[in-house]
Amino acid sequence: MESSGRSKSYPFIFLAILLPVIGLFTTGCTSKNKPASSEASITVTDFRGKEIALAKPANRVICLIESALSGIYMLNAQEYVVGVPSDVYRGSVAKRYASLDNRLANGLLPSPGNWDFISIEQIIALHPDLVILWASQTEAIANIERFDIPVYAVMIHSIEDVYKEMADFGTLLNRRVRADSLVSFTRNNLKQISNQKKEKEAVRGYFMWAQGINHTSGKNSTVNQLFEFAGIENVVDSEMEHLTVNIEKVLEWNPDIIIMWQNDKLMPEDVISHPILKNTKAAQLKQVYMLPGVFDCDLWTLKMQHAVKLVSNWAYGESFNQEEELEKLMEVLY
Amino acid sequence: MTRKKLTYLIFLLPIPVIVASLFVGPAGNSSFISFFRWFFMADETINSEMLTNILLQVRMPRILLVFITGGILAVSGAALQAIFRNPLVDPYVLGLSSGAAFGAALGLWLAVIPVQLSAFVFALAAVGLSYYMARKNKQISIVSLILAGIITNGIFTALLTIIQIMSDPFKLQSIVHWTMGNFHNANWDRLQMAILPMLAGLVILFVMRWKLNVIALGDEEAASAGLNPGRLKLWILTGATLAGSAAVAVSGIIGLYGLIVPHVVRMIFGVDNQRTLIINFLVGGTFLTLIDNISRTLAGFEIPIGVFTMLIGAPFFIWLLKKSNVGWEH
Amino acid sequence: MTQNKAVEIKNLSFGYHHHSIISNVNVDFYRNQFTVILGRNGSGKSTLLRLMAGLLPHCQGEIKINAVSIQKSFNAVKEAKIGFLAQKHKAVFPFTVEEVVLTGRAAFINWLPGKEDRKITLDSLERIGIMHLKNRIYTELSGGEQQLVMIARLLAGQPEILLLDEPISHLDYNNQIHFIHLIKELIKEGLTIIAILHDPNLAFLAGDRFVFIHNQMVQSYEGHEPWTAPLVKEIFHDNLTFIPHGDKVVFIPSLQ
Repeated sequence: MESSGRSKSYPFIFLAILLPVIGLFTTGCTSKNKPASSEASITVTDFRGKEIALAKPANRVICLIESALSGIYMLNAQEYVVGVPSDVYRGSVAKRYASLDNRLANGLLPSPGNWDFISIEQIIALHPDLVILWASQTEAIANIERFDIPVYAVMIHSIEDVYKEMADFGTLLNRRVRADSLVSFTRNNLKQISNQKKEKEAVRGYFMWAQGINHTSGKNSTVNQLFEFAGIENVVDSEMEHLTVNIEKVLEWNPDIIIMWQNDKLMPEDVISHPILKNTKAAQLKQVYMLPGVFDCDLWTLKMQHAVKLVSNWAYGESFNQEEELEKLMEVLY
Repeated sequence: MTRKKLTYLIFLLPIPVIVASLFVGPAGNSSFISFFRWFFMADETINSEMLTNILLQVRMPRILLVFITGGILAVSGAALQAIFRNPLVDPYVLGLSSGAAFGAALGLWLAVIPVQLSAFVFALAAVGLSYYMARKNKQISIVSLILAGIITNGIFTALLTIIQIMSDPFKLQSIVHWTMGNFHNANWDRLQMAILPMLAGLVILFVMRWKLNVIALGDEEAASAGLNPGRLKLWILTGATLAGSAAVAVSGIIGLYGLIVPHVVRMIFGVDNQRTLIINFLVGGTFLTLIDNISRTLAGFEIPIGVFTMLIGAPFFIWLLKKSNVGWEH
Repeated sequence: MTQNKAVEIKNLSFGYHHHSIISNVNVDFYRNQFTVILGRNGSGKSTLLRLMAGLLPHCQGEIKINAVSIQKSFNAVKEAKIGFLAQKHKAVFPFTVEEVVLTGRAAFINWLPGKEDRKITLDSLERIGIMHLKNRIYTELSGGEQQLVMIARLLAGQPEILLLDEPISHLDYNNQIHFIHLIKELIKEGLTIIAILHDPNLAFLAGDRFVFIHNQMVQSYEGHEPWTAPLVKEIFHDNLTFIPHGDKVVFIPSLQ
């Protein structure tokens, strides 16, 4: 038992070492903030209201938002991208990105994270001069900014936000002219679609996210804008961006049309024959449609206009060639 | 290997593990070889600023945070198992984890209070609530305390669900990630923020560590030996809660860890808390550092560490239970 | 005469929530004697023992130990040199015998046990004659061995008075007799022992003094004739056959 007598001193020796070591690290090693570069010639204000100043157009960009990345591709600025969200290698959008960029087809662009999970050290190792992140990722943003890497934070609530995002990307990536022309093309296109409906009585619509039949969006959302441009009145009266509603409410609202987000588990036919939803006007009129492809209809990008066109045509029964329209649009955007 | 040799190993292992972990990570250009070439061979091609940034600003705080968190989970798990005289108890038994998860979710949702602070405060509040509910006639019985913990867990899980329902899918995902462990945002500030309550809690547990043996025999036995079991339990709960809340606030919930490590240590080093509490700290810290190394490097994207501790811990624990006589009477 | 009294109890009452368990008890316990407390289940024997051990706060009456009146929160081990052995003990953790006995020093240890504490621990193991069990796992011992370890744990607190709550109830007959021998040994070494026993024959054969508790009445007897007390039949059974045994008397129940 002689060891027990000696073991008494272990913890104290241990603590005696641990305390100053930790104290040393925590006080001495915090990063020193360098003053912002004074010769900055490019400045934009991001969605947090923070000014991003660059001395020259960014040419090592890490973009961890898929929708924003698709915007960068529209600007033909993909050559400056050094890091992408891991989403572009997975799921339904992977094929589209692979066809857009050989580097993505061959898995050559590193993905130091996704919108929700970020590897700081991979970001630092890529030596970026600009990182694009969701504004809600405050912790990750703070962590990246510790290393004097500029972060452009994005928050999209409306198509106006997308316009601003595109214009800012244009400035930051030296593609301002292209950005402006795409934005004004989109504005015109949307105006044209929404002007067509003026004389008819508004169709009332319900939007259904892929998470479930009662996941929908309220007034303060890009979905609501989609409906507005398409001339549809959103039956959901809440202000919330995303909400789950009681299925009874959907029956009470009795929408004329149901628009579904891309969904693997549920098809429009399933909604039409759904034991509860079959009682809605939309189901009875077989006015249930699913937006094709997350990539083509992304409401957080200029591609929203495609979704608007589709929904508008479904709601007001105009004939049109979906494939052809999409091809034409993609020609313009990419 | 004898127990004595093993003890030496446990005391020596943390330093090489920590140093080696510094050179483990997804950024390939920060390996030991680049460090060696930069430090000893003055290789100009190595970007020294980036190298030191990654080693000292990204990896070092994370490794230390992981180590201390692992140590705290093991130590407070062992301490709580002793005072509850129950092998199924872990640091989360009194609602600490659900309180912290709710606090963190509230912080993420409202985006006005710092997430860590909110998690810490609600973790403390949850344990306080359990303690308050269990207290009757100035006495705390083990069964009522565990019951109160279950109730508290239920309450905070329900509150968490409300927030999750009201959150958009983005925030929802952040909350889910947070609850599975969240070392990927570790930095010096965060360590600095948590270190005081962590050390305060650890010091309380360490100075009380022999008394854990007395209380582990039973309240009556402790009282008849001249100790006040109520006061002793309150101190140990305070220490474990303080350190545990700080750890959970900066690192998220790391499941099963605080349950398993004390068992492993007990099987190898016996039950004398005077000796094993420090061993728990070192084993807990070393192993979590190793697990975090896997979590940092295995996949292209990060897998939350809580997932690993659950997936590695559960089968390992079942294997241990089946293989050896743990020494529990009932 | 007072200096011979180890414990004096005057007008002591105790109860929970207006339910009286013992009331107005007056009884003395004498130094260097083996006093046996006898009574039916629920008569308040354990409560009396616990009050003396300072494990329950008494509200009415007075308890004097070594002529000093004890206060509400006194440290029985340290201040009154009392060792209390609880009736039931259920160990969960597989501590070694030495670790268990060392916890008996808790009252004298601020944070960690020192060399002196470990020496006293080994001395108490030696005194009970269980040095060979030192490194064994407590939970793996037999009931008899466990009880010896618990006595060694009490002795580690270096008490003058031992309070034992049914120390032999869970032992087999052989171990019961061994235990009674151990008590006699400890009395010879100068200790005062107060124990609750259920077997009246064993009690009468071994005890120096007897305290009966029945229907909230407490009576104490000394010497050779406690079994003639009217309380004996009332406490144990009214149909007993008395058999002379040396200078004492034992009794067996008449089962016909």
